[in-house]
Amino acid sequence: MAMRDIEIDLAGTRFDFLGSSRLLGDAIADALRQNGGVAATADEASLIVALHPLGPQAEAADLLPDLQRHGERFAAGLGGRLVLVLSAAASVPMRRHPAHSANAAMAWAGMRTLAMALAPKVLVNAVGAGFVEEAGQVLAGDPVMPGHAGLQRPGRVADLVNAVLFLADPANTYTTGQLLNVDGGWTVGYGRNF
Amino acid sequence: MRCDLDGRVAFVTGAAGAIGSAIAKKLADSNGAVVIADINLDGAEALAATLPNALAVRVDIRDAGAVEAAVAATLERFGRLDILVNNAGVNTFAHRVTIDQFPAEEWERITSIDLDGLYLMSRAALQPMLAGGGGRIVNIASVVGMAAMRLQSAFVAAKAGIIHLTRAMALELGPRGIAVNAIAPGSIMTEGTRKLFYGADGTFAGRTAEFMQHIPLGRPGTPEEVAEAVLFLSSPAAAYISGQLLPVDGGWTAGFSV
Repeated sequence: MAMRDIEIDLAGTRFDFLGSSRLLGDAIADALRQNGGVAATADEASLIVALHPLGPQAEAADLLPDLQRHGERFAAGLGGRLVLVLSAAASVPMRRHPAHSANAAMAWAGMRTLAMALAPKVLVNAVGAGFVEEAGQVLAGDPVMPGHAGLQRPGRVADLVNAVLFLADPANTYTTGQLLNVDGGWTVGYGRNF
Repeated sequence: MRCDLDGRVAFVTGAAGAIGSAIAKKLADSNGAVVIADINLDGAEALAATLPNALAVRVDIRDAGAVEAAVAATLERFGRLDILVNNAGVNTFAHRVTIDQFPAEEWERITSIDLDGLYLMSRAALQPMLAGGGGRIVNIASVVGMAAMRLQSAFVAAKAGIIHLTRAMALELGPRGIAVNAIAPGSIMTEGTRKLFYGADGTFAGRTAEFMQHIPLGRPGTPEEVAEAVLFLSSPAAAYISGQLLPVDGGWTAGFSV
Protein backbone atom coordinates (compact mmCIF):
# COMPACT_ATOMS: atom_id res chain seq x y z
CA MET A 1 0.00 0.00 0.00
CA ALA A 2 1.26 3.46 -0.87
CA MET A 3 2.41 5.61 1.99
CA ARG A 4 -0.04 8.28 3.08
CA ASP A 5 1.03 11.92 2.69
CA ILE A 6 2.27 11.94 6.25
CA GLU A 7 2.61 9.24 8.88
CA ILE A 8 3.18 9.82 12.57
CA ASP A 9 3.50 7.41 15.46
CA LEU A 10 0.99 8.17 18.19
CA ALA A 11 1.85 4.86 19.90
CA GLY A 12 -1.50 4.39 21.61
CA THR A 13 -2.04 8.06 22.55
CA ARG A 14 -5.65 8.54 23.66
CA PHE A 15 -7.43 11.35 21.87
CA ASP A 16 -10.78 13.10 21.90
CA PHE A 17 -12.55 16.08 20.31
CA LEU A 18 -14.18 19.20 21.55
CA GLY A 19 -16.67 21.08 19.42
CA SER A 20 -18.59 19.93 16.39
CA SER A 21 -18.15 19.37 12.66
CA ARG A 22 -19.06 15.82 11.90
CA LEU A 23 -17.29 15.36 8.59
CA LEU A 24 -14.05 17.02 9.64
CA GLY A 25 -14.11 15.39 13.07
CA ASP A 26 -14.61 11.94 11.54
CA ALA A 27 -11.76 12.52 9.07
CA ILE A 28 -9.40 13.62 11.84
CA ALA A 29 -10.43 10.68 14.05
CA ASP A 30 -9.79 8.23 11.20
CA ALA A 31 -6.36 9.74 10.60
CA LEU A 32 -5.42 9.68 14.28
CA ARG A 33 -6.48 6.01 14.52
CA GLN A 34 -4.50 5.12 11.36
CA ASN A 35 -1.46 6.68 13.02
CA GLY A 36 -1.70 4.73 16.26
CA GLY A 37 -4.11 6.92 18.24
CA VAL A 38 -6.93 5.46 20.33
CA ALA A 39 -10.28 7.22 20.69
CA ALA A 40 -11.16 7.95 24.32
CA THR A 41 -13.21 10.32 26.41
CA ALA A 42 -11.79 13.80 26.97
CA ASP A 43 -11.05 12.95 30.59
CA GLU A 44 -8.90 9.97 29.55
CA ALA A 45 -7.24 11.62 26.57
CA SER A 46 -3.80 13.24 26.41
CA LEU A 47 -4.38 14.66 22.93
CA ILE A 48 -7.38 16.88 22.40
CA VAL A 49 -8.34 18.30 19.02
CA ALA A 50 -10.79 21.17 19.37
CA LEU A 51 -12.87 22.16 16.37
CA HIS A 52 -13.78 25.80 16.64
CA PRO A 53 -16.61 27.15 14.43
CA LEU A 54 -15.06 27.30 10.95
CA GLY A 55 -17.73 28.97 8.86
CA PRO A 56 -19.03 32.56 8.99
CA GLN A 57 -22.53 31.16 9.45
CA ALA A 58 -21.61 28.92 12.37
CA GLU A 59 -22.66 29.85 15.86
CA ALA A 60 -19.93 31.38 18.01
CA ALA A 61 -18.39 29.14 20.63
CA ASP A 62 -15.86 29.41 23.40
CA LEU A 63 -13.90 26.20 23.79
CA LEU A 64 -11.15 27.82 25.83
CA PRO A 65 -12.46 27.03 29.33
CA ASP A 66 -12.65 23.32 28.45
CA LEU A 67 -9.23 23.42 26.77
CA GLN A 68 -7.78 25.10 29.82
CA ARG A 69 -9.28 22.51 32.16
CA HIS A 70 -7.90 19.59 30.17
CA GLY A 71 -4.58 21.35 29.58
CA GLU A 72 -4.12 21.93 33.30
CA ARG A 73 -4.81 18.25 33.90
CA PHE A 74 -2.12 17.35 31.31
CA ALA A 75 0.32 19.82 32.88
CA ALA A 76 -0.22 18.31 36.34
CA GLY A 77 0.31 14.81 34.97
CA LEU A 78 2.31 13.31 32.15
CA GLY A 79 1.84 16.15 29.66
CA GLY A 80 -0.13 16.25 26.46
CA ARG A 81 -1.16 18.13 23.37
CA LEU A 82 -3.93 20.50 22.45
CA VAL A 83 -4.60 21.21 18.77
CA LEU A 84 -7.22 23.80 17.94
CA VAL A 85 -8.71 24.02 14.46
CA LEU A 86 -10.04 27.52 13.91
CA SER A 87 -10.82 29.89 11.07
CA ALA A 88 -7.95 31.66 9.30
CA ALA A 89 -10.10 34.78 9.80
CA ALA A 90 -8.46 34.78 13.26
CA SER A 91 -5.44 36.44 11.67
CA VAL A 92 -7.15 38.53 8.95
CA PRO A 93 -10.59 39.84 9.94
CA MET A 94 -13.26 39.96 7.22
CA ARG A 95 -15.50 43.01 6.82
CA ARG A 96 -18.54 40.89 6.02
CA HIS A 97 -18.04 38.55 8.97
CA PRO A 98 -17.36 40.67 12.06
CA ALA A 99 -18.63 38.29 14.74
CA HIS A 100 -16.96 35.26 13.18
CA SER A 101 -13.65 37.13 12.83
CA ALA A 102 -13.77 38.31 16.43
CA ASN A 103 -14.64 34.87 17.77
CA ALA A 104 -11.79 33.27 15.83
CA ALA A 105 -9.32 35.95 16.97
CA MET A 106 -10.36 35.38 20.59
CA ALA A 107 -9.66 31.67 20.22
CA TRP A 108 -6.27 32.44 18.67
CA ALA A 109 -5.22 34.76 21.50
CA GLY A 110 -6.52 32.28 24.08
CA MET A 111 -4.58 29.45 22.44
CA ARG A 112 -1.37 31.51 22.68
CA THR A 113 -1.80 32.31 26.36
CA LEU A 114 -2.62 28.66 27.11
CA ALA A 115 0.61 27.62 25.36
CA MET A 116 2.63 29.90 27.62
CA ALA A 117 0.75 28.92 30.77
CA LEU A 118 0.86 25.16 30.18
CA ALA A 119 4.49 24.86 29.00
CA PRO A 120 6.72 22.91 29.06
CA LYS A 121 4.74 19.67 29.47
CA VAL A 122 1.86 20.63 27.19
CA LEU A 123 2.16 21.88 23.62
CA VAL A 124 -0.72 23.98 22.30
CA ASN A 125 -1.04 24.91 18.62
CA ALA A 126 -3.67 25.75 16.04
CA VAL A 127 -4.50 25.09 12.42
CA GLY A 128 -6.18 27.99 10.62
CA ALA A 129 -8.64 26.86 7.98
CA GLY A 130 -9.23 28.89 4.84
CA PHE A 131 -11.95 27.95 2.39
CA VAL A 132 -12.45 24.19 2.54
CA GLU A 133 -14.86 22.38 0.27
CA GLU A 134 -15.33 18.64 -0.10
CA ALA A 135 -17.84 16.91 -2.37
CA GLY A 136 -19.76 20.13 -2.89
CA GLN A 137 -20.07 20.79 0.82
CA VAL A 138 -18.47 23.92 2.32
CA LEU A 139 -16.73 22.96 5.57
CA ALA A 140 -14.82 26.12 6.37
CA GLY A 141 -14.34 29.71 5.31
CA ASP A 142 -15.86 31.80 2.57
CA PRO A 143 -15.82 31.08 -1.18
CA VAL A 144 -14.20 34.49 -1.84
CA MET A 145 -10.98 33.39 -0.11
CA PRO A 146 -9.20 31.61 -3.01
CA GLY A 147 -9.50 34.85 -5.02
CA HIS A 148 -6.86 36.40 -2.79
CA ALA A 149 -4.79 33.27 -2.29
CA GLY A 150 -1.63 32.21 -4.09
CA LEU A 151 -2.95 28.66 -4.51
CA GLN A 152 -6.22 29.38 -6.27
CA ARG A 153 -8.26 26.34 -5.31
CA PRO A 154 -10.34 25.38 -2.29
CA GLY A 155 -8.65 23.44 0.46
CA ARG A 156 -9.62 19.81 1.05
CA VAL A 157 -10.30 17.96 4.28
CA ALA A 158 -7.02 16.09 3.81
CA ASP A 159 -5.10 19.38 3.83
CA LEU A 160 -6.45 20.20 7.30
CA VAL A 161 -6.03 16.65 8.55
CA ASN A 162 -2.36 16.58 7.49
CA ALA A 163 -1.66 19.80 9.42
CA VAL A 164 -3.39 18.41 12.52
CA LEU A 165 -1.21 15.28 12.28
CA PHE A 166 1.93 17.42 12.02
CA LEU A 167 1.01 19.38 15.15
CA ALA A 168 -0.02 16.20 16.99
CA ASP A 169 3.19 14.37 16.09
CA PRO A 170 5.14 13.32 19.21
CA ALA A 171 8.34 13.90 17.17
CA ASN A 172 7.42 17.58 16.67
CA THR A 173 8.58 18.99 19.98
CA TYR A 174 9.64 22.66 19.78
CA THR A 175 6.61 24.44 18.32
CA THR A 176 3.99 25.75 20.72
CA GLY A 177 1.58 28.69 20.75
CA GLN A 178 1.56 28.89 16.96
CA LEU A 179 -1.12 29.17 14.31
CA LEU A 180 -0.42 27.41 11.02
CA ASN A 181 -2.84 28.63 8.39
CA VAL A 182 -3.85 26.07 5.79
CA ASP A 183 -5.48 28.50 3.42
CA GLY A 184 -3.57 28.46 0.13
CA GLY A 185 -2.02 31.76 1.16
CA TRP A 186 -5.23 33.74 1.75
CA THR A 187 -3.86 35.46 4.87
CA VAL A 188 -0.65 36.49 3.12
CA GLY A 189 -1.57 39.70 1.31
CA TYR A 190 -3.39 40.97 -1.75
CA GLY A 191 -3.72 38.56 -4.63
CA ARG A 192 -3.96 41.22 -7.31
CA ASN A 193 -1.66 42.11 -10.21
CA PHE A 194 -0.73 45.70 -9.55
CA MET B 1 6.81 12.32 10.94
CA ARG B 2 7.48 10.04 8.04
CA CYS B 3 6.73 10.91 4.44
CA ASP B 4 7.92 9.89 1.02
CA LEU B 5 9.55 12.60 -1.09
CA ASP B 6 9.64 10.04 -3.88
CA GLY B 7 13.02 11.08 -5.26
CA ARG B 8 12.25 14.79 -5.37
CA VAL B 9 15.40 16.88 -5.60
CA ALA B 10 16.04 19.29 -2.74
CA PHE B 11 18.68 22.02 -2.84
CA VAL B 12 19.74 23.08 0.67
CA THR B 13 21.96 26.13 1.20
CA GLY B 14 24.23 26.37 4.22
CA ALA B 15 23.89 22.59 4.28
CA ALA B 16 27.25 21.95 5.96
CA GLY B 17 26.17 23.92 9.04
CA ALA B 18 24.35 22.56 12.08
CA ILE B 19 20.78 23.34 11.03
CA GLY B 20 21.46 22.84 7.31
CA SER B 21 22.96 19.40 7.78
CA ALA B 22 20.03 18.32 9.97
CA ILE B 23 17.67 19.48 7.20
CA ALA B 24 19.66 17.69 4.49
CA LYS B 25 19.73 14.44 6.50
CA LYS B 26 16.00 14.62 7.21
CA LEU B 27 15.14 15.14 3.53
CA ALA B 28 17.51 12.35 2.50
CA ASP B 29 15.95 10.01 5.10
CA SER B 30 12.57 10.72 3.48
CA ASN B 31 13.71 9.52 0.06
CA GLY B 32 14.75 12.90 -1.29
CA ALA B 33 17.82 13.50 -3.47
CA VAL B 34 19.74 16.32 -1.81
CA VAL B 35 22.15 18.96 -3.05
CA ILE B 36 24.45 19.92 -0.18
CA ALA B 37 25.30 23.52 -1.05
CA ASP B 38 27.71 25.44 1.14
CA ILE B 39 30.57 27.92 0.93
CA ASN B 40 32.52 25.25 2.84
CA LEU B 41 33.06 22.55 0.20
CA ASP B 42 34.96 20.20 2.51
CA GLY B 43 32.06 20.19 4.96
CA ALA B 44 29.55 19.71 2.14
CA GLU B 45 31.50 16.79 0.70
CA ALA B 46 31.88 15.14 4.10
CA LEU B 47 28.11 15.26 4.64
CA ALA B 48 27.25 14.19 1.08
CA ALA B 49 29.46 11.11 1.50
CA THR B 50 27.20 9.91 4.32
CA LEU B 51 23.93 10.24 2.36
CA PRO B 52 22.58 7.81 -0.23
CA ASN B 53 21.79 10.25 -3.05
CA ALA B 54 23.54 13.57 -2.51
CA LEU B 55 25.68 16.03 -4.43
CA ALA B 56 28.04 18.49 -2.74
CA VAL B 57 28.51 21.89 -4.39
CA ARG B 58 30.46 24.95 -3.28
CA VAL B 59 28.42 28.11 -3.57
CA ASP B 60 28.71 31.65 -2.27
CA ILE B 61 25.11 32.82 -2.53
CA ARG B 62 26.24 36.45 -2.89
CA ASP B 63 27.66 35.50 -6.29
CA ALA B 64 24.97 35.25 -8.99
CA GLY B 65 27.31 33.33 -11.32
CA ALA B 66 28.19 30.77 -8.64
CA VAL B 67 24.52 30.33 -7.76
CA GLU B 68 23.59 29.66 -11.39
CA ALA B 69 26.49 27.23 -11.76
CA ALA B 70 25.31 25.32 -8.68
CA VAL B 71 21.80 25.03 -10.12
CA ALA B 72 23.30 23.87 -13.43
CA ALA B 73 25.33 21.22 -11.58
CA THR B 74 22.11 20.08 -9.88
CA LEU B 75 20.33 19.66 -13.21
CA GLU B 76 23.31 17.87 -14.69
CA ARG B 77 23.33 15.33 -11.86
CA PHE B 78 19.62 14.93 -11.10
CA GLY B 79 17.81 16.44 -14.12
CA ARG B 80 15.39 18.47 -11.98
CA LEU B 81 15.00 20.67 -8.94
CA ASP B 82 11.82 20.43 -6.84
CA ILE B 83 12.54 21.87 -3.41
CA LEU B 84 14.73 24.82 -2.39
CA VAL B 85 15.60 25.31 1.27
CA ASN B 86 17.11 28.77 1.74
CA ASN B 87 18.92 28.05 4.97
CA ALA B 88 22.27 29.85 4.58
CA GLY B 89 22.55 32.86 6.83
CA VAL B 90 24.86 34.72 9.16
CA ASN B 91 24.55 36.99 12.19
CA THR B 92 27.10 39.11 13.95
CA PHE B 93 29.17 37.85 16.86
CA ALA B 94 31.90 40.49 17.10
CA HIS B 95 29.66 43.53 16.75
CA ARG B 96 26.82 43.27 19.28
CA VAL B 97 26.24 47.02 19.24
CA THR B 98 23.35 49.44 18.69
CA ILE B 99 22.66 50.76 15.20
CA ASP B 100 24.40 54.11 15.74
CA GLN B 101 27.63 52.10 16.17
CA PHE B 102 26.90 49.30 13.69
CA PRO B 103 29.74 48.99 11.14
CA ALA B 104 28.69 49.44 7.52
CA GLU B 105 30.83 46.48 6.37
CA GLU B 106 29.12 44.22 8.87
CA TRP B 107 25.68 45.45 7.74
CA GLU B 108 26.65 44.74 4.13
CA ARG B 109 28.06 41.29 4.94
CA ILE B 110 24.93 40.18 6.80
CA THR B 111 22.25 41.57 4.49
CA SER B 112 24.12 40.48 1.35
CA ILE B 113 24.07 36.87 2.51
CA ASP B 114 20.81 36.65 4.45
CA LEU B 115 18.54 38.65 2.12
CA ASP B 116 20.26 39.34 -1.22
CA GLY B 117 21.64 35.81 -1.36
CA LEU B 118 18.21 34.34 -0.75
CA TYR B 119 16.87 36.37 -3.68
CA LEU B 120 19.68 35.28 -6.03
CA MET B 121 19.30 31.65 -5.00
CA SER B 122 15.51 31.68 -5.38
CA ARG B 123 15.63 33.35 -8.79
CA ALA B 124 18.06 30.75 -10.13
CA ALA B 125 16.26 27.74 -8.63
CA LEU B 126 12.88 28.91 -9.87
CA GLN B 127 13.85 28.48 -13.51
CA PRO B 128 13.91 24.64 -13.43
CA MET B 129 11.06 24.53 -10.88
CA LEU B 130 8.77 26.54 -13.15
CA ALA B 131 9.86 24.52 -16.16
CA GLY B 132 9.02 21.37 -14.22
CA GLY B 133 5.53 22.59 -13.37
CA GLY B 134 5.86 23.27 -9.65
CA GLY B 135 7.88 23.04 -6.48
CA ARG B 136 8.45 24.21 -2.95
CA ILE B 137 10.57 26.86 -1.33
CA VAL B 138 11.22 26.88 2.41
CA ASN B 139 12.98 29.97 3.73
CA ILE B 140 14.71 29.85 7.10
CA ALA B 141 13.90 33.15 8.78
CA SER B 142 14.16 33.80 12.52
CA VAL B 143 11.98 34.85 15.45
CA VAL B 144 13.90 38.15 15.42
CA GLY B 145 12.22 38.87 12.09
CA MET B 146 8.90 38.80 13.99
CA ALA B 147 9.81 40.35 17.34
CA ALA B 148 12.69 42.80 17.14
CA MET B 149 15.72 42.52 19.40
CA ARG B 150 18.59 44.82 20.30
CA LEU B 151 22.23 44.64 19.16
CA GLN B 152 21.69 42.80 15.88
CA SER B 153 19.92 45.32 13.63
CA ALA B 154 21.21 43.95 10.31
CA PHE B 155 20.09 40.41 11.13
CA VAL B 156 16.71 41.64 12.41
CA ALA B 157 16.11 43.64 9.23
CA ALA B 158 17.25 40.86 6.89
CA LYS B 159 15.09 38.23 8.62
CA ALA B 160 12.01 40.48 8.58
CA GLY B 161 12.73 40.99 4.90
CA ILE B 162 12.79 37.23 4.34
CA ILE B 163 9.41 36.81 6.04
CA HIS B 164 7.66 39.41 3.91
CA LEU B 165 9.46 38.29 0.75
CA THR B 166 8.11 34.81 1.47
CA ARG B 167 4.57 36.22 1.34
CA ALA B 168 5.19 38.13 -1.91
CA MET B 169 6.74 35.04 -3.49
CA ALA B 170 3.77 32.93 -2.39
CA LEU B 171 1.35 35.30 -4.12
CA GLU B 172 3.41 35.47 -7.29
CA LEU B 173 4.30 31.81 -7.59
CA GLY B 174 1.18 30.09 -6.22
CA PRO B 175 -0.70 30.32 -9.50
CA ARG B 176 2.28 28.62 -11.13
CA GLY B 177 2.28 25.66 -8.76
CA ILE B 178 4.93 26.72 -6.28
CA ALA B 179 4.26 27.04 -2.55
CA VAL B 180 6.62 29.24 -0.55
CA ASN B 181 6.79 29.20 3.25
CA ALA B 182 9.13 30.27 6.01
CA ILE B 183 10.25 28.80 9.29
CA ALA B 184 11.28 31.01 12.18
CA PRO B 185 13.68 29.15 14.43
CA GLY B 186 14.02 30.50 17.93
CA SER B 187 17.25 29.93 19.84
CA ILE B 188 18.74 26.73 18.47
CA MET B 189 21.70 24.97 20.10
CA THR B 190 24.56 25.33 17.62
CA GLU B 191 28.22 26.26 17.76
CA GLY B 192 27.19 29.89 17.20
CA THR B 193 24.70 30.10 20.06
CA ARG B 194 27.20 28.32 22.33
CA LYS B 195 29.62 31.17 21.66
CA LEU B 196 26.93 33.67 22.62
CA PHE B 197 24.72 32.11 25.26
CA TYR B 198 25.20 28.51 26.19
CA GLY B 199 28.96 28.05 26.53
CA ALA B 200 30.69 28.76 29.86
CA ASP B 201 32.72 31.54 28.20
CA GLY B 202 29.92 32.80 25.93
CA THR B 203 29.39 36.53 25.34
CA PHE B 204 26.21 36.46 27.42
CA ALA B 205 27.17 33.56 29.69
CA GLY B 206 25.58 33.81 33.13
CA ARG B 207 22.40 35.28 31.68
CA THR B 208 21.02 32.07 30.19
CA ALA B 209 18.39 31.61 32.91
CA GLU B 210 17.13 35.15 32.35
CA PHE B 211 16.94 34.47 28.61
CA MET B 212 15.12 31.15 29.09
CA GLN B 213 12.34 32.87 31.06
CA HIS B 214 11.13 34.21 27.71
CA ILE B 215 10.90 30.74 26.18
CA PRO B 216 7.93 28.77 27.54
CA LEU B 217 9.58 25.42 26.85
CA GLY B 218 12.58 26.66 28.87
CA ARG B 219 15.33 25.32 26.64
CA PRO B 220 16.95 25.99 23.27
CA GLY B 221 15.74 23.94 20.33
CA THR B 222 17.75 21.42 18.33
CA PRO B 223 18.61 21.50 14.62
CA GLU B 224 16.55 18.31 14.23
CA GLU B 225 13.46 20.08 15.54
CA VAL B 226 13.85 22.72 12.83
CA ALA B 227 14.43 20.02 10.22
CA GLU B 228 11.15 18.33 11.18
CA ALA B 229 9.24 21.46 10.18
CA VAL B 230 11.21 21.82 6.93
CA LEU B 231 10.32 18.25 6.00
CA PHE B 232 6.62 18.90 6.63
CA LEU B 233 6.56 22.06 4.51
CA SER B 234 8.51 20.26 1.74
CA SER B 235 6.16 17.28 1.73
CA PRO B 236 3.00 16.48 -0.23
CA ALA B 237 1.13 16.80 3.11
CA ALA B 238 1.57 20.58 3.04
CA ALA B 239 0.24 21.12 -0.49
CA TYR B 240 -2.30 23.81 0.52
CA ILE B 241 0.01 25.77 2.82
CA SER B 242 1.69 28.81 1.28
CA GLY B 243 3.01 32.17 2.40
CA GLN B 244 3.01 31.02 6.00
CA LEU B 245 5.53 31.54 8.74
CA LEU B 246 5.92 28.62 11.11
CA PRO B 247 7.91 29.42 14.24
CA VAL B 248 9.91 26.57 15.81
CA ASP B 249 10.78 28.52 18.89
CA GLY B 250 9.62 26.79 22.06
CA GLY B 251 6.72 29.23 22.28
CA TRP B 252 8.93 32.34 22.37
CA THR B 253 6.68 34.30 19.98
CA ALA B 254 3.40 33.05 21.46
CA GLY B 255 3.42 36.24 23.55
CA PHE B 256 5.32 37.85 26.40
CA SER B 257 6.00 35.21 29.03
CA VAL B 258 7.53 37.70 31.45
